[in-house]
Amino acid sequence: MSDTWLNNIAPPRADGVTAPINEDWLAVVLGLAIFVLALAALVNVDLIGWVVTTSVWINLGQALKATSTSFASLGGVGALIATYVALLVVLSAGAAALKSNVTKFALAFTAVFWIAYASWVIGNYANFAAVTPAEQQKFGINWSLKLTGEGGYIFALIAGLIIANFFPRFAEAIKEAVRPELYIKIAIVILGGFIAVTAAGKLSLASSLLLRGVAAIVEAYLIYWAVVYFVARKWFGFSREWAAPLASGISICGVSAAIAVGGAIRARPIVPVLVSSLVVIFAVVEVLILPFLAQAFLSHEPLVAGAWIGLAVKTDGAAVAAGGITESLILAKNAAEGVNYQPGWILGTATTIKVFIDIFIGIWAFVLGYIWTNHINVVPGQAKASVGEIWQRFPKFIIGFLITFAVGLYLALGTPADIAKKVPAAIGEANTFRVIFFILTFFSIGVLSNFKTLWQEGFGKLAAVYLVTLFGFVVWVGLLISWLFFSGINPPLAS
Amino acid sequence: MSETDIRKELRDAPVEPLLPIEKKLIGWSLGIGLVLLVGLALLNHFVPATF
Repeated sequence: MSDTWLNNIAPPRADGVTAPINEDWLAVVLGLAIFVLALAALVNVDLIGWVVTTSVWINLGQALKATSTSFASLGGVGALIATYVALLVVLSAGAAALKSNVTKFALAFTAVFWIAYASWVIGNYANFAAVTPAEQQKFGINWSLKLTGEGGYIFALIAGLIIANFFPRFAEAIKEAVRPELYIKIAIVILGGFIAVTAAGKLSLASSLLLRGVAAIVEAYLIYWAVVYFVARKWFGFSREWAAPLASGISICGVSAAIAVGGAIRARPIVPVLVSSLVVIFAVVEVLILPFLAQAFLSHEPLVAGAWIGLAVKTDGAAVAAGGITESLILAKNAAEGVNYQPGWILGTATTIKVFIDIFIGIWAFVLGYIWTNHINVVPGQAKASVGEIWQRFPKFIIGFLITFAVGLYLALGTPADIAKKVPAAIGEANTFRVIFFILTFFSIGVLSNFKTLWQEGFGKLAAVYLVTLFGFVVWVGLLISWLFFSGINPPLAS
Repeated sequence: MSETDIRKELRDAPVEPLLPIEKKLIGWSLGIGLVLLVGLALLNHFVPATF
């Protein structure tokens, strides 16, 4: 495994330059900026209605259009180019703030955007995406894979996987813009507003779901972590330095947790980076399997499916994006049976579970850091874990999520009716950007997933712990807990 | 550290026995976790979701 490959997880600055902002805060800034621009629609100023959206298509000319009819004159291709240019400018500015090489980023982003969006458009082809007989009739087709439009995420993921595994030099060339964590964090900040609007329609149900989300925190930190750590140490003979980040990656929240805990216990940087690489690869496997299992076996328990995905799929990007696929698959299956659930609840449940778990990463890292630096690995002269590390390791993008959620909820419930009625459409425009960041996330995760890693001598043992604990324990206990706490609760029906 | 070093380290690392503090960490985590989950399950049972 080359150092370059490792760098894909967290590109370092070889020249030691410190960026004025980190990826978390950048995600908050960009996510909030999109959210605020979208809210201008509340005062009848449409600032982002030009963003491109894709419909299921049989004739390519009808696939793309601007989100708002005010920008219909742009046409689909015009909206796509406008979206590309806007994202290129804004994200290149972000890359500059991160002290990355802006030219390299811009070139790489161009490739990432066009390949990812092309995959998304292909995924929306009617023979892949049309679900109901009525849709098939509308498009004049007699078969469909019924993947729904969101199946396009899978196409983006597969495109990334092909590049990672068959064109590694190209993957290396575009790595500057392969940033799944940044893209999903921006998406999650935007998602806060969308979830708020969804929750506002059924506030009592949303409150019940939040209460049940607490079980996920207990499960991830206290049950999963302890079992995975024990298995890694006792059954597989891993050292403490490897077992703690590994247990955190598998049980809590993939990349962020492995890196936070690795730092807290003073592990060598290579340890969490290697663990993170495995997390991403296994997340890909989960994304390709679990949403379809959920559709097959949990379509009549939609919120169990959402909670399960949030608990079982590691890394924010894969979990939240898998929640999106699961939602579309389950809604489509129910729609085919004549039951039309309101969209947003399954994705909202998966996201809420993930965000709840994320909130405690800093605290858990501090707890482990305290135990390690005071009891397990006491090194004279080495700094002990301090309470300040809780804030230092807190995933800041959650602040953005909470802000958009609170503002969205206030606008939907606390403003006069003439303003409140415009909120869903305004946030819907921001949500179109969220979909685009999901697409970029899926593609980027694919590009980071070189499966050869799993077969490399020495790393097989790491993969074996992951395989045994994830598919032998985490996935099934997650299902059991999700069933215990979310069964019998259905999303509201679409009006 | 090179790739080969890491592979060698993973393959040849001596077994570190579980320290009492690690056993405590695992035991207390599981114990507190199970108690909290039972408590939450009871709460879930007696305070059903409102629609």
